[in-house]
Amino acid sequence: MNEGKTDIRLLLFMYGLAFILLWEWLLPVGELTDTDHLSIFLYFTGLSFIFGLLRFRWWISIPLKVIYLFFALHYVFYDTIFIGRETVNTLLADLSSNFSIMAVGDWENITNPFRTVLFFVLLWMTIYLIRHWIEVRKSILLFYAMTVIFIAVLDTFSSYNADGAIFRIMISGLLLLGLLTISKLAEKHGRKLSVGMFISLSLPVVFAVFVSGTLASFMPEQEPAWADPIPFLKSLVNGDSAVGSGESISQSGYDPDDSKLGGSFAQDSTVVFKAVVPKKQYWRIETKNTYTSKGWEQNRIYSDPLSIQPGDLLVDDMTIMSEDNELQTASIQMKTPLPYLVYPYGTSTIHTALDVELNYQPENGRYWAREDGVRIELESYSIDFTEYDLYSLKALRETYPEQYGPEVAQYLQLPENVPDRVRELAMSITETEESVYEKVKKVERYFGRNGFVYDQQNVAIPQGDEDYVDQFLFDTKRGYCDNFSTSMVVLLRAADIPARWAKGFAPGEGKKNSRGMTEYTITNNEAHSWVEAYIPKFGWMPFEPTIGFSNPTQIDYDIELDTSDPQIPEMEEQIRQEQELIETPERVQQKSNANSLWSAVKDFGKKYKWLLFICLAVTALIFRSIYSNRGKWLPKLLIKANRTKKSDWEQFTKQYKILLKQLDRIGLKRSNNMTLSEYANLVDSHYGGGRMGRLTKVYEQGFYGGYTTNQDWQALKEMWESLINSASG
Amino acid sequence: MSHELVIEKVLSNIDRVMIGKRDIAELSMTALLAGGHVLLEDVPGVGKTMMVKALARSIGATFKRIQFTPDLLPSDVLGVSIYNPKEMEFEFRPGPIIGNIVLADEINRTSPKTQAALLESMEESSVTIDGETIRIPQPFFVMATQNPIEYEGTYPLPEAQLDRFLFKLRMGYPKRLEEVEVLVRAEKSVPIDELEPVLSIEDLTVLQKAVKDVDVDHSVKAYMVDCAAETRLNPYVYLGVSPRGSLALMKSCQAYALIKGRTFVTPDDVKYLAPFVFGHRIILKPEAKYEGITTTEIVERILAKVSVPIDRVRTR
Repeated sequence: MNEGKTDIRLLLFMYGLAFILLWEWLLPVGELTDTDHLSIFLYFTGLSFIFGLLRFRWWISIPLKVIYLFFALHYVFYDTIFIGRETVNTLLADLSSNFSIMAVGDWENITNPFRTVLFFVLLWMTIYLIRHWIEVRKSILLFYAMTVIFIAVLDTFSSYNADGAIFRIMISGLLLLGLLTISKLAEKHGRKLSVGMFISLSLPVVFAVFVSGTLASFMPEQEPAWADPIPFLKSLVNGDSAVGSGESISQSGYDPDDSKLGGSFAQDSTVVFKAVVPKKQYWRIETKNTYTSKGWEQNRIYSDPLSIQPGDLLVDDMTIMSEDNELQTASIQMKTPLPYLVYPYGTSTIHTALDVELNYQPENGRYWAREDGVRIELESYSIDFTEYDLYSLKALRETYPEQYGPEVAQYLQLPENVPDRVRELAMSITETEESVYEKVKKVERYFGRNGFVYDQQNVAIPQGDEDYVDQFLFDTKRGYCDNFSTSMVVLLRAADIPARWAKGFAPGEGKKNSRGMTEYTITNNEAHSWVEAYIPKFGWMPFEPTIGFSNPTQIDYDIELDTSDPQIPEMEEQIRQEQELIETPERVQQKSNANSLWSAVKDFGKKYKWLLFICLAVTALIFRSIYSNRGKWLPKLLIKANRTKKSDWEQFTKQYKILLKQLDRIGLKRSNNMTLSEYANLVDSHYGGGRMGRLTKVYEQGFYGGYTTNQDWQALKEMWESLINSASG
Repeated sequence: MSHELVIEKVLSNIDRVMIGKRDIAELSMTALLAGGHVLLEDVPGVGKTMMVKALARSIGATFKRIQFTPDLLPSDVLGVSIYNPKEMEFEFRPGPIIGNIVLADEINRTSPKTQAALLESMEESSVTIDGETIRIPQPFFVMATQNPIEYEGTYPLPEAQLDRFLFKLRMGYPKRLEEVEVLVRAEKSVPIDELEPVLSIEDLTVLQKAVKDVDVDHSVKAYMVDCAAETRLNPYVYLGVSPRGSLALMKSCQAYALIKGRTFVTPDDVKYLAPFVFGHRIILKPEAKYEGITTTEIVERILAKVSVPIDRVRTR
């Protein structure tokens, strides 16, 4: 990379743009994976570019980068940059242990520090490649296109929101592309561009990019012209045609009545509530315990609702909470009234602004608010909750069916007419597993592997004495969350595992708000149902059978890694698959709020339409006449500009060409077949004198004969000035 | 004395006897310096012979004249070996072709056999008789004249052999006042006899060497080649200009630039000389002849089509 001929200031600018592009790659990585400490990677990127700019030799830059890398690792994994002997030793031991792991091809078990090192190396190579593209190839299109595709795919298929990113990428990428093209052109013509020339050449590019960028950012966002093709594409890939007899189409959203499940539903992107919360949460509303073959009901409510004051500590039947967990807060803004409160798992305290009484029904988990004895709907409230501690996998695998007490009986209810094949299926799925937890996980995973399809359309409704679960499991295999969750509950109950049906909302779309907090928007499309299973000693745990959704529970894989146990990698793989899967297919196009400035401009435009039009027309005319009269004013500028330049052959060539252009502009055309002296005769016969002939002779001597010295350049310059003045007068 | 002035002396010398024929004199001089031969095509009596004589006298070279007739034999041109009974051996008697400046008058009046002998000796700069090759002393400059080929009793030169000549020129009739001046001068004396040599053979050789040092810019070379290539693409042309034609153009341009006192060739030179160099090297299709299009017109069209190089174009 020693052939960088580009000026360092330009290079600095181009590296800056490349840095922005690379940043856009790192941003989603931080957001979508567990990668924290994004800044250390950014520093590394910046450092690499700076080293490149300063033309550090490899024997300086590589050791420096390695030292940085080591400090970064140390900082990430020991939270301090002060290197201690102990930490260094453990870090080195950790890193070196990976070589043996890699040697046996056990990729799953590579430790986190080593993964970080690998990521650094990847970044390093990427930066090297980008520098090569910029300095040597002078072409960044490939990287630019890859960035756009990467971000577009992420935006489409993941929860990553690339509204801002795509804008930044367009601006910086186009700019970089333009600048590189200019320097490439310069190189092609064997010219070394000065910074001034480069800037004047790149002005149109910069102007075009910024004007289009500014316009684009103020334009109102259009509704998509086509329906979102992604669900269609997915159904195409899955190769299915319309199945089922879904007749009735309901609206998605929360509805307390679940006695008749099934049927298609339409998208409804009405915002239900917004929640500011540090992490994605499942929003619970209630649970139901009685399956009716067609839907769910809540039977046997024994107790009166508990009455609690806002701020009281709640007792949840979701038991396992440890004290050392930090209390987190979710602030909820209701946009559409709901009869019951939504709340995350681990809720401990509910704060409301109003002086209201909260009611809680422990059996179905519903909260509602009353004021002076009358039911009201809260507009906003906040909830303190503890994030679930990691469930210990080791402990979970020591849970056995014998440990159940009699209190869970109601959660084993099944209607009489559940077909035997459902029960047989439940047994066949679970019989191979010992522990309750693994039985449940086995059922949960069952849906992901046996040809089930997520679909909101073409979902059948059970007719006559058909069973909703039986129909889904064996006939249609096509449905949405209700089908999956209900089926899982039924299968669990058939396998004698207490389970209940939970309703609420999926986490929704997160966006950083102005204060840097993530605000999740939950629309009716996020209405969701899932499964809670009772695990002995642990209590109720949520499970997520619906394909495309990921389980909110965090599992601590705290058991000894034992390669003879195939369960662990499989589970990890499952978790990863879930994380990779699309979060919510019901994503809706977020319509951006009409920009107020734009609407003001539009109003103004409407009011003074004619005035505006006339102004535009006049401006256009003025510009046109300025342009078409450039033959008159341009030479004056050119003469001024030329006076300061030194007088030599180079400058004379430029002047001579300017003169040719100017003569051409005022109508003395030189056809291509005309030699310069023929043209000079024409010009001189037009203006009189022999100025053009004299200038042409010098040019011919220089150009055809190579005599570029020993001329009275100053006199020629004066002659040129006088001729170009006559030509512009 | 600079080359330019030396040449100017020759030209003004010729001007003394040839009125209004400065251009032909320049072109003849160009061909002489470039080491080529000239074919003058015109009706009788316009001063072809006078032109050649004036040139020969001005440079003090030996001047020979061959009047071609239908019964002329090759040996009449090249020379013959005669048995000398006194010496008891064959003796070579050189023909009129062995000279510095040769006027081959009305070459299309003689038989193809004799024409071929002349053209071959022009090409080779030597003659071969009875297996013996004799170099013709340099400078060797043939100026051939022919009557326009439409005239009766002529053997037209084979078109393919015409490129033995560097230029094909036309004298043309003098203008009215010029012709009056011709009469005025003829009244006093026969001017040709008063011409004194102003250039020695040695000086001419120096000049011929100097021609080779005239610069031809790459872009101008490309321009010449473009012009030649264009003749091959023209729809009226049966056979275009060969690379030998391009080479001839370049040599003559160098010589012409020297005459004009330049050390480099400009596109103007190319444009000026191309009709004389290319004109007789293009063979037209019959339809062009029926339409009355001449080779000169074709060359003019081509020159109007090809772009003149005025700026550096980088080629990789």
